[in-house]
Amino acid sequence: MSVESSTGPSASRLPIWLDWVLYNTQSGLVLLDADMRIVFANKWFLLRARLLAEEVNTKALLEVFPVLQGGHFERALVKAMRSGFPALMSQTLHPSPFPLYAPVGTRANENLLRQSIHIVPMGPVDVAIAGQRYTLIQITDVSPTFARERMLKAHADRMSDLVHIDALTGLGNRRFFDESMAAEVRAASRSGAHLGLVMLDIDRFKQFNDLYGHPAGDRCLQAVAEVLKAVCRRPRDLVARYGGEELAVILPDTDEAGAIQVAKDILQKLRDLRIAHADNLDQSVVTASAGVYAGQPHADASVASLIQNADQALYAAKNDGRNRVFCFDTGRNAALAV
Amino acid sequence: MKLNALQLDALAEIFNHGVGQAALALSELAGEEVQLSAPKVEELSRTQITDKLNEQGANRICAVRQGFSGDINTEALLMFPVDQSLQLVQLMVGDDFPLAQLSEMEQESLAEIGNILLNSVVSSVADMLNIEFEGTLPHVELGQVSEVLHTSESLDDLILSLQINFKIASRQIQGYLVFLLDVASSDMLEKKISAFLGSLS
Repeated sequence: MSVESSTGPSASRLPIWLDWVLYNTQSGLVLLDADMRIVFANKWFLLRARLLAEEVNTKALLEVFPVLQGGHFERALVKAMRSGFPALMSQTLHPSPFPLYAPVGTRANENLLRQSIHIVPMGPVDVAIAGQRYTLIQITDVSPTFARERMLKAHADRMSDLVHIDALTGLGNRRFFDESMAAEVRAASRSGAHLGLVMLDIDRFKQFNDLYGHPAGDRCLQAVAEVLKAVCRRPRDLVARYGGEELAVILPDTDEAGAIQVAKDILQKLRDLRIAHADNLDQSVVTASAGVYAGQPHADASVASLIQNADQALYAAKNDGRNRVFCFDTGRNAALAV
Repeated sequence: MKLNALQLDALAEIFNHGVGQAALALSELAGEEVQLSAPKVEELSRTQITDKLNEQGANRICAVRQGFSGDINTEALLMFPVDQSLQLVQLMVGDDFPLAQLSEMEQESLAEIGNILLNSVVSSVADMLNIEFEGTLPHVELGQVSEVLHTSESLDDLILSLQINFKIASRQIQGYLVFLLDVASSDMLEKKISAFLGSLS
């Protein structure tokens, strides 16, 4: 293997076919000498770096591309040149180390190319022949693969949304609630944060359905769902349809007072809608009852026990006459009116 | 057994130096601390390694393979149960992905992680035992443990296994780094370690 012939400013002394091969190779090739100076860069690379051969040849790589200084690329390159072992830099961990762009330089096409980079230093045998360690940097444009995977993930996200969303209300479904609750309890137990949980049930919903019919019942549920969405607007608040007319709200970083306030706001906003419900005993409009539990879950806290606490408070609110909020008090192990 | 306890200890120390270097590089890459446990070095048979990975419930594994040649020829394999490899990439990339398998791009990032670890460990061996190696680029393989391990029958004379635990963001991931050596290479390694131990006394 001889590299001598390519050290000039142009590769004109190479055999014609080798020159032709390098010229037409569909990935970027940059050859460095032991001082990290550019010996050769192929046409693919120059076109995308938007540089001419004379702007790079014999120049120090890190001066031609100052963005590479002090970054992962420089560290990987130095290590590879020192050890003589090839290194790889993946697109996922380093999207676009080199300032390379699509070769047709329209302004609409100014995104950096996504790059997969192989750094291949000469091994000891070739170093002995060449008299110094040359290093080949090979750059592949993986932008199309990146775009395809991003599309695939967006698709997967959408599929995941479909299995996690309640079709009628657009809220999370029971599966979403169970998975989110487990994740939030874990997160809160790790960070020591408060976690609030509100369980809600529409009062005398069976009677509402009997009186006004199921289509009206569906519209009522949708209206209640909109109230929950309007009240729980922080990015991490999670709202789900837990069962038939039972809804649930998970409130990360929320203490008891905060969770009670959310429950009260929901009940108030629902009453304000004034959806007629002639069979709601002393009320003439649709109302709901709420059970609240908030605390700082331990690492070994069971999700089921937290839900049971909120559920017990909900049950107590129902028994106490509905259209009110009860909160589970861990100290007294009982649900109390608030 | 090819190597005695003293020789295995010396190797463990050399490997540990390389693993320490890799932990630093991986921490820089992840932007948070990556801890790698001091590896326990053992001579194991293919069957024993297969059993160990199967014990972890790893029917299918994900491996990063690199070849090193020169004074010593060896195939180096960093192996993880598939679910552990997914977690490792997820933690390093800092991204949550809904796919149940590593995508092409994620496999490449696993290759990079493996490349950093394998190059660091083999560099330490090269420096301390004064051995010259040439290396190949890494590639990722997926399959049954037995399929991944049984590719090169001649590299059966000595199999060195290092159990390596990754700790990132309070999560533990267990992998195995395996070196497969042929007869000539294991003899050479034994000789180089003896020379190294001799130079210490």
